[in-house]
Amino acid sequence: MNKSLREKLESTFKDIRVTVLEENRIAVTAESHGVLAVLRFLKDAGFDHLALLSAVDWIEDNCFELCFILTCYMQSDDEVTGRQRLHIILKTKIPRGKPQFETITRIFPNAEPYEREIYELFGIKFEGHKRLTPLFLERNYDIPPFRKDFDTRKYVEEVFDKIPFVESKDK
Amino acid sequence: MDRNQITKWLKAPAKMANKYSLHAIYFCTGCGIIEVPPVITARWDAERFGVIPVATPRQANLFLITGYVSVKTLRAIIRTYEQMPEPKYTVGFGSCPINGGMYWDSYNTIKHLDKYIPIDGWIAGCMPRPEAIFIAVTHLWTLIDKEMANGYMRYKKNYKSYRRNQEMLLGKLEWPPLYPVSDEPRGNEQ
Amino acid sequence: MVAKITHIILSPILALVVGVFFSGLARKITARIHWRYGPPLIQPVIDMIKLFYQKGVSHGAMFDLGLIFSLAGSIVVVLFLPFGRIAPLSNSGGLLVILYIMLFAPLGMALSGGEGANPNISIGISRKLILSLGYEVPLLLILLTVMTRYRTISIMEVVNAQQSTNWSIISFPLFLSGLSYFLILPAILGLRPFDVSSAPQEISSGPMAEYGGKYLALATIEHAFVLFISIALFVNLFLGGATNPIIFFVKMLVVFVLGLFIHAVFPRFRIEQAIKYLWKWPTLLAFLGLIMTLVIRS
Repeated sequence: MNKSLREKLESTFKDIRVTVLEENRIAVTAESHGVLAVLRFLKDAGFDHLALLSAVDWIEDNCFELCFILTCYMQSDDEVTGRQRLHIILKTKIPRGKPQFETITRIFPNAEPYEREIYELFGIKFEGHKRLTPLFLERNYDIPPFRKDFDTRKYVEEVFDKIPFVESKDK
Repeated sequence: MDRNQITKWLKAPAKMANKYSLHAIYFCTGCGIIEVPPVITARWDAERFGVIPVATPRQANLFLITGYVSVKTLRAIIRTYEQMPEPKYTVGFGSCPINGGMYWDSYNTIKHLDKYIPIDGWIAGCMPRPEAIFIAVTHLWTLIDKEMANGYMRYKKNYKSYRRNQEMLLGKLEWPPLYPVSDEPRGNEQ
Repeated sequence: MVAKITHIILSPILALVVGVFFSGLARKITARIHWRYGPPLIQPVIDMIKLFYQKGVSHGAMFDLGLIFSLAGSIVVVLFLPFGRIAPLSNSGGLLVILYIMLFAPLGMALSGGEGANPNISIGISRKLILSLGYEVPLLLILLTVMTRYRTISIMEVVNAQQSTNWSIISFPLFLSGLSYFLILPAILGLRPFDVSSAPQEISSGPMAEYGGKYLALATIEHAFVLFISIALFVNLFLGGATNPIIFFVKMLVVFVLGLFIHAVFPRFRIEQAIKYLWKWPTLLAFLGLIMTLVIRS
């Protein structure tokens, strides 16, 4: 199962690298301009469930890495085919100085909250997204909080520790 | 046993009734709420202490702030606390309201809940066991007896400081002040 | 004359004591069925004392007056129900007056809830009124049957007739009506599976969502009176009443404990499921009982 999918992928796309991590897990690394084509190909091949979309901050290599995890929906409770046990992790790197990407909501509509979350926490802008409004946080941060150069202790001292206690601690 | 002492009831019925009928509002503030359903169901029965959960803050007496408090939750907590009728008691549950707990350097949680609403007692632990809740309830009874559980009176007395702290953190608040805050020019804050 | 005045003062006080005892008993028995210990039996009294010392919030004049209106209606109904020998006004009006004034309780709550600015109250009130529409249909048929069978509208005469013959619930055409009344009794009392109007998990206690302090105490007292009224009506009409308040109390206890056993284990119906149930079998049985009583009479 893995072999035939691997050959199909490598034959269809040029600059793509497929590694088999474990028995049921494949990692596919692609360039950032070709990701949408790979996603559409995989969705047509049957992997129509986007399980997760998340980002990693590689601050030494000066890039962000977006990870898409795709699986197959189970059709019945009794038997699980080999294809349905497979997880595909699609990775791509984007430069840290210009963090933007194209939205994948046209292919997978359920990626909308994931992209909002990544925009809020990492600062990666997704072009074409209908509403990139805040999902969890309600304050403005000058550096998005999940980046590695965001100093949490300094932020806490600036915002939370400055607020004084109301009365003395000994009651 | 304490309950059958009729003289205590006759001397101070308000204190005795406030002790033995604590209605806790069932507001799931944070992750610590996972320890409350075992307390109110059959295994560790909280109803024999008089503690029963109610659904609305207007009927409640006791506010158990379980777990960490994020900035969004603090708005809801302050509104709920101000809707409760007096006398009311708050208990901070878990180590996160005490000093931030596990999230001591987080960008979005409150480190000391004492700065924003008054707290009568704390329960340490992450999460505290149900037996710790019962020890806290009996401890709260002793505090009510000695009239030291007066968080709501401190809130009324120092309302200006509490409101100033809330506004420093949350920006402009949508609800009007609960007690009258005198109009001073903004430059007079110390 | 003096006896009558004593009875008028004594009857609501006894009804309150019995109602509050039943509320405490409900919590205790439910807890024991759930394999826990439960609060002490006087816990509702402790709750009420605490509530009278709390400073509740009022939303306007109609908020207070609606509640007092519903409480007054319940107290008036209690005066018309005989409790053993204590029966102050039961020879005037009787069943027709009770049918009319029993509706003051939910209407009073609706009036006071309209002033409270909470949408949960409106949802709870609408469910309560729809539920009362649901149980009023079989209740009217049952009361008509009883009035036709004993040819009177006075409850005292019904009780006396049952003392000479046997109880209504085992006499021929009325056992259907008795069965039907027992089937709708949880709906009148507001016990599960029919406590949809005050569902704490769904609509944050429905009509009582904005009551705090003394208003909640008055609402609890009013619930205690409604408990007394519904069970006392059933015992008077179908279980023979009693010549002695103690035997009357024992009969009420048996009926209430049976209802509690159902309350402790069942989940709650949705409002349309409740109406579908109430208008199906209880209405059918009550209707059959009415037809048979008319046939026998003629």
